[in-house]
Amino acid sequence: MFVSPLFEVEEKLGANFGEFAGWNMPMTYSSYQEEHLAVRNSVAIFDLSHMGRLRVKGRAEELEELIAKELNGSPGQMIGPTAFLNDKGGFIDDVMTYKVSDSEFLLVTNAVNREKVIKWIRSNSSLDVEDLTFSLVMIAIQGKRVKETFNVDEIPRMTFKLNANYMGMDVFLLSRSGWTGEDGIEIWAEPEVAGKIFTKLTQSGVKPAGLVTRDSIRQEMGYLLYGEDIDESVTPVESRYWVFSLSKGFVGKDAIVEQLRNGVSKIRFGFKMKKGLRIIPRNGMEVTSLGSKVGYVTSSTFSPFLNRVIGMGYISPQHFFLGYSTTVEIRGRTYEIKMDDFPFI
Amino acid sequence: MAEIKVGKYTVLSDLLYTETDEWVRLEGDIATVGITDYAQKKLRDIVGIELPEVGREFNSGDSIGVVESVKAAVDIYAPLSGKVCQVNEELTSSPELMNLDPYGKGWIFKLKCNNVNEKVKLMNAEKYVEKIQKGE
Repeated sequence: MFVSPLFEVEEKLGANFGEFAGWNMPMTYSSYQEEHLAVRNSVAIFDLSHMGRLRVKGRAEELEELIAKELNGSPGQMIGPTAFLNDKGGFIDDVMTYKVSDSEFLLVTNAVNREKVIKWIRSNSSLDVEDLTFSLVMIAIQGKRVKETFNVDEIPRMTFKLNANYMGMDVFLLSRSGWTGEDGIEIWAEPEVAGKIFTKLTQSGVKPAGLVTRDSIRQEMGYLLYGEDIDESVTPVESRYWVFSLSKGFVGKDAIVEQLRNGVSKIRFGFKMKKGLRIIPRNGMEVTSLGSKVGYVTSSTFSPFLNRVIGMGYISPQHFFLGYSTTVEIRGRTYEIKMDDFPFI
Repeated sequence: MAEIKVGKYTVLSDLLYTETDEWVRLEGDIATVGITDYAQKKLRDIVGIELPEVGREFNSGDSIGVVESVKAAVDIYAPLSGKVCQVNEELTSSPELMNLDPYGKGWIFKLKCNNVNEKVKLMNAEKYVEKIQKGE
């Protein structure tokens, strides 16, 4: 199993570690509920070293052919989220893309798909792929009060700088981005530098947060997690994950065009449970409408911010009754879930 | 009551334990039951509980309720046979008490036991420490 280079720093901060996609990462520090509220009301710092970080060099046209979104935009811009799709339109991976120049891009992949994406690019193009995952650490500082740690106006949203300076330290990449719905920055830096930033910020009151919090935060926004909500059998249309541009060609486009013309057999929906009900539907549990099976749950959690259970899943489009309370079967009992749309906050 | 430390886990010397990580405090024929520190740390953030109904009878080993954490839902089992005489209603709104104080405010239910001699099937603290060590 891989271990974050920040393991020792995080252990000192009281991290509870757990396995995620083959990495031993901090799951929680104090309680995920406190960490979650720090992201929403204040500021928190995450270690995202498990995510794949790749540098791709070569002809942009070749990457354009493999990636679903257009890569036109100026250097220093982030293009994303977007995705690599298979020829059936299913997700090979959803990725964040950074345009360094017309012939150089950086990609962030899901941890579980890092090797798969490298192989996919290499076997379908002449692009040069360099894996930076093990030489650089990725951290994210997220929340309204991120401004107090750094003058964020230096980088407009969804842009980045290479060889930047953060708190007087040299970092490889600094971007105004995140996966939380809050203002924030993400940093790629050498392990020693990232460790210093992590320690300094937590000493100054920034709350360290783990992957459990990252999961509850992303569910409030309706962001999808690979392996839970999307995989190779699900398309961007079915998941309502608008990561493609039809104005260009790319692998998987034909399948997407076909679905946009003729419709889909399942569609992603969000739901909320009644306040006070502390039961979590799990991945794969059946969604029913007056006894008929109409869908299934893919993610769910208790949102400390909304003080209720929220989640998402897939439902037959004929039963996508936004605002209506359908039901889910949990351990032989039926519970109401109200269909709602994202973001929940 | 002496605390025994097994790595980051706490075991209390005067309690009895089950294979499924419940603790039992026997006072006469009343057994107070909760989940151990080891169990709560493995489950991590607990967000909900399904409590048994007061008055219901269970045999030892029966599933008596469910603890929901962000990670998983796990059954809790009756360590002894008997009738539920009290449940910790506070857990319904504050299930995190099972994380914060598993042997105290995080108690889950009380059972009026049919036969306290069944306790021979439970582990003492020493045996439970061995079980944790084997599991780690």
